[in-house]
Amino acid sequence: MRTHKAETIVNYAMLVLLAIAVLFPVFAFVSAALSPDRSGIPVPGVFAWENFAIAWQEAEFSKSMVVSLTVAVSAVAAQLVLAVLGGYGFGVLNAAGQKFLYPLILFGIMVSIEAIIVPLYYQMRELQLTNSLPGYILIHVGTGVPFGVFWMRAAFRSLPRSIFEAAHIDGAGSIKMLLNVALPLVKPAILTYALLGFMWTWNDYFLSLIFLHGDNQTATVALGVFQGKYLTQFNLMAAGGLIIAAPVLILYIIFQRRFISGMLAGALKE
Amino acid sequence: MRRSRWMGLAMVLVPLLFYAVFMLAPICQSFSYSFYKWDGHSAATWVGLDNYLSFVTDPVLASTLSHVLVLIGFFALLPIVLGLASAALITRRALPGMALFRFIYFLPQVLTSVVVALVFKRLYGPEGPINESLRAVGLGSWTKAWLGDFDWALPALGLIGTWVTFGFCMVLFISGVSSIPTELYEAARVDGAGPLREFFAVTLPGLRSQLAVALTLTITGALRTFDLVWVTTRGGPGTSTLTPAIALYRAAFENPQVGQAAAIGIVMALLCLLIAVAIGRIAERE
Repeated sequence: MRTHKAETIVNYAMLVLLAIAVLFPVFAFVSAALSPDRSGIPVPGVFAWENFAIAWQEAEFSKSMVVSLTVAVSAVAAQLVLAVLGGYGFGVLNAAGQKFLYPLILFGIMVSIEAIIVPLYYQMRELQLTNSLPGYILIHVGTGVPFGVFWMRAAFRSLPRSIFEAAHIDGAGSIKMLLNVALPLVKPAILTYALLGFMWTWNDYFLSLIFLHGDNQTATVALGVFQGKYLTQFNLMAAGGLIIAAPVLILYIIFQRRFISGMLAGALKE
Repeated sequence: MRRSRWMGLAMVLVPLLFYAVFMLAPICQSFSYSFYKWDGHSAATWVGLDNYLSFVTDPVLASTLSHVLVLIGFFALLPIVLGLASAALITRRALPGMALFRFIYFLPQVLTSVVVALVFKRLYGPEGPINESLRAVGLGSWTKAWLGDFDWALPALGLIGTWVTFGFCMVLFISGVSSIPTELYEAARVDGAGPLREFFAVTLPGLRSQLAVALTLTITGALRTFDLVWVTTRGGPGTSTLTPAIALYRAAFENPQVGQAAAIGIVMALLCLLIAVAIGRIAERE
């Protein structure tokens, strides 16, 4: 019993130590955001909540937050449709040619965005789709296909075959089977994928830095520009950072288990 | 059921179309761009393998690869060793409150990289907590602008990567350990194995697939670092924190040498692929 107790204490001590290592930088950042001092040095007992309002106005976040939200919601919606089609076609219907086509799609998971970004930019420029929200959304949709199809295929394949056979005997066609039988059963996988997709699109910096400017800036890039301009006002910069991080953080707090299990599962299965 | 296979093909063709337009086609174009010298506007000229050879002939570009090696130490090796140590030391019994700790350790994974960069800009800043604490303990002469220092900027950036990835590795390993059959541990104990032998004989082999995943993700992450560097140092001071992705961005969009940029992208993708395949092979063989 005694060693049991000692072990528990050592375990918790370690866990707490590591948690402090993670939280300390965040804590320093939050206290900088609430500091009335431009350099971000916290003043005990004084919380400058107005920093958030000032940062919101100075950085014109109302514009860029709407852009980010529009992009993330529409990209995720389109990604979901494609992922369900691909996942169902491969996972349940055993699409003709899948021996070749599925590995071809999987290959895309291993391709890093850097390998395609240069021609993609010059092609989109030719089509006048640079600095355009539809163009930027399309890129997210296209590059999201490999993981999405992989994810939904796994979800559909984890369903017992017998329910499809039963529906088939009842005379249900492939599409009816998808809408009435399969989709309701894979709702958890869809929710997890939607959350991860929202996070990835919202947090994207590289693509939006390249493709969007001016009024079309996403929140992450707007924050980067803001920090360049307000180098000497760290408290406002930190407040702006917290505003940009908030939407994903709120989702993470509500759906923490989905985020964690989704990211672990997504990584392990690849 | 035969008809449904054609129905299935019709369905998968929709995502395939998007994939082909936005990924497959650009990959092929990247290859062809990489053999040309092109400024993005005037006519392109064929230069053969020159754009690839500049990884050897151009010392600045070559230095990006050695920077990556340093970053791998911080992004991959350090967090994996830390993660393994904690997975080995933390009991296999379910601890109350573990969910809260998992929540905290995963936090850096969901924070957008721009905010992570700002968090550490604050930490490393001239009046940031690190320098303040150095002054407080009388080591004022050690204070510096960590991200603006030629020697310290790269390791300072690396530590940001450690902070981001270690929680992920740790949670991955702890969940992996809990799925190792208890009998293996009991057998090791019966054989008189100490904690160290138990770790090497049971825990480490049992975590093989998690290790492979962690190594692949963190090493390719180090190779592809862009956001963190762009927001904190832009590759500077000088070129001391230049990464391949930053070099690619500059070559593609700042003073266009489009062919060079495409070649950097191809080299990065091939290295990522090579790393993933090699680690996968090693993990399977053992």
